[in-house]
Amino acid sequence: MSKWPILKIGHLYPDLLDLYGDRGNVLALEARCRWRGIETQVQHLSLGDDLNLSQIDILFLGGGSDREQSILVKDLKCREEELRRAVGEGLVVLSICGGYQLLGKYYQTGGGEKIPGLGILNLWTVAGSKRLIGNVVVEQNPPSLSEEKPQTLVGFENHSGKTYLGPDLSALGKIQHGFGNNGEDGGEGVRYRNVFGTYLHGPLLPKNPHLADLLLQLALERRGYDHALPPLDDQLEKRAHRAILSRVLDA
Amino acid sequence: MKRTWRFWLALWAGKISATILRIVGRRGTTFPGVVAQRLDPECIGHLSHSFSEGIVIVTGTNGKTTTANLLASILRAAGRGFAFNQAGANLVTGITGALMEHVTWWGQAQVPLALLEVDEATVPKLCEQVSPKLAIVTNFFRDQLDRYGELDTTVRLVRDALTEETMLILNADDPLVAQFGQGRRNTLYYGVDRLPESSTESRETREARFCPQCGAALSYSLFHYGQLGLYACSHCSFTRPQPQVLAAQARMEEGKLKFRVGVSAYEVGFQGFYNLYNALAALAAAIELDVRGEDLEKGLREFVPQAGRMERFLLSEGPVTLALVKNPTGFNQVLRTVLRSEGELRLLIAINDLAADGRDISWLWDVDFEYLSLGLHRDQSHGGCAEIKLIVCSGLRAEDMALRLKYAGMPEEKLLIEHSLEKAVAALQAGRQGKERVFVLPTYTMLFPLRDYLASLDLDEGSQGKPSERLRKGRASA
Repeated sequence: MSKWPILKIGHLYPDLLDLYGDRGNVLALEARCRWRGIETQVQHLSLGDDLNLSQIDILFLGGGSDREQSILVKDLKCREEELRRAVGEGLVVLSICGGYQLLGKYYQTGGGEKIPGLGILNLWTVAGSKRLIGNVVVEQNPPSLSEEKPQTLVGFENHSGKTYLGPDLSALGKIQHGFGNNGEDGGEGVRYRNVFGTYLHGPLLPKNPHLADLLLQLALERRGYDHALPPLDDQLEKRAHRAILSRVLDA
Repeated sequence: MKRTWRFWLALWAGKISATILRIVGRRGTTFPGVVAQRLDPECIGHLSHSFSEGIVIVTGTNGKTTTANLLASILRAAGRGFAFNQAGANLVTGITGALMEHVTWWGQAQVPLALLEVDEATVPKLCEQVSPKLAIVTNFFRDQLDRYGELDTTVRLVRDALTEETMLILNADDPLVAQFGQGRRNTLYYGVDRLPESSTESRETREARFCPQCGAALSYSLFHYGQLGLYACSHCSFTRPQPQVLAAQARMEEGKLKFRVGVSAYEVGFQGFYNLYNALAALAAAIELDVRGEDLEKGLREFVPQAGRMERFLLSEGPVTLALVKNPTGFNQVLRTVLRSEGELRLLIAINDLAADGRDISWLWDVDFEYLSLGLHRDQSHGGCAEIKLIVCSGLRAEDMALRLKYAGMPEEKLLIEHSLEKAVAALQAGRQGKERVFVLPTYTMLFPLRDYLASLDLDEGSQGKPSERLRKGRASA
């Protein structure tokens, strides 16, 4: 038996939720497995495709334009129960921007209409009057244990929805620069069990390899493999991460 | 439209400031435009009314400048006088300045026509006051989303701004553009049935997977590039319109783009099939403006590509080609052009993230850099793909560029990060072998510094220095 299982990555609606280079996150997960000799299979799942979540280790949902998001809310609703169960069983989910909003209870439009989301996470989004745009630096919450890893996340946000977390949820991190969830409470993203939601594009994972590896580690642990991931040569990743830190924080 | 005292104040203040700028030896239409706009926000409407043959605008994501310059070249060949915002000053102030330049102190236009390149986000603002005679819409791709919000919004705003009075010259092959003509009479479509690069499958990131009318999936019998191709809605009647200006036999020969439209043969001196669309758009507009056949042909043939669009420099180590990159589709087209022929390649990619480049550089992950590393693995039977010798990454986001290439499968030993332009160019040329080809691919704000530096190293230096200087000033203020 191989040391590692085949990791299955489900890319949900790659044809609809593909704004802002988010496919780079899947490229990063694949590459970081390949460099370690872990085999991956990426399933591109679109409207109406069969989705068997018990066959998925990491589910990825990106951001889309408003029109495309409304097309897929209907489709996702049919998968709601299955997704809720899988999340309860520790499915690793990375959801970004529009995908993040969809996991919440609703999106309230400027006119006050509440468009229901999946309601898997106790969070909700309210349309804002201005777009929150720019580079973001987030201090991770709680900080990573290892000294050597960056304790920050860097990315680029571009959203007008303002997301609020219910009292039972904690943010992924604290904003050092940028707006984050709503530009008000200093929180950015969410972490609930193995579900990660965030407004950070960039794409997120290539410049935050420690988060990419955390997702992989969690997915492997869920499959019963608890040996640590072998380290990779991340000099270039760290250099790109630091370049944003100094560009944003020194400015 | 009655001219108010505010208009005269704005016109004269604008013209005085333009005169002062000229006396102190500076060019630029944006500052006088700012002055005039400040004094009379409606002056652009008044100005536009003085042009007896009307206003022609060019908008869309890619190819605006090239299309406007091609049309200008045709109009010059036909001996037509026109106002032109050729410095790429395509926002309201730059347009105001360009119109003012050709209007006398007494408010009369010295030329009958105005040709304006207009930024997509500026179209709604402009059309509040100006009703163009012709509007050319080139294409819509994702570009600088941080500035415009999302693409759908941009497309809708442009579409709603153009009223029935304006004749639309539309790219039939882009569903996002072709939808403008639905239910309208005043339209002229241009397009192409097949390019040498057309294929039945698309691997690129593309827009408009869904019908702009009903939201059902669009099906394609052929992709040209991006979402451009032969499409039809699987559900409603929306389908690619039959182009009235249709290119046939498009091919690259002797470094020139050659094609036919009907019984006429044309050639334009630049590379890249994406430029065919720019030529077709200019042709369609010129035909609509009653330009004669031989002037169409002459105008295209005599066209000189503007700064940084596949522009060649001869350096002591060998020739270098400079090509602007600004969004995924444009970058993919440049990569295809770069990779088309055999031989080893050296690239300098310079990525900035200033306002004019787009602050968000995540679009780099929508570019198919994976094509660059295909040549490294010949066993995958992708012959004809040039092999990469070296890629120098520069600009404010050099690290991001290098990281993108690493995840595209480019070995790190082929990558070099060098922030200094001079050192980046030196590294690019160091140890260059005879047959290696060299391309420099900058984003917008890196283009002019690089162009000036390459021109200063050019062995044929002399003829090229000036236009850059002029363009740089115009752009910087745009």
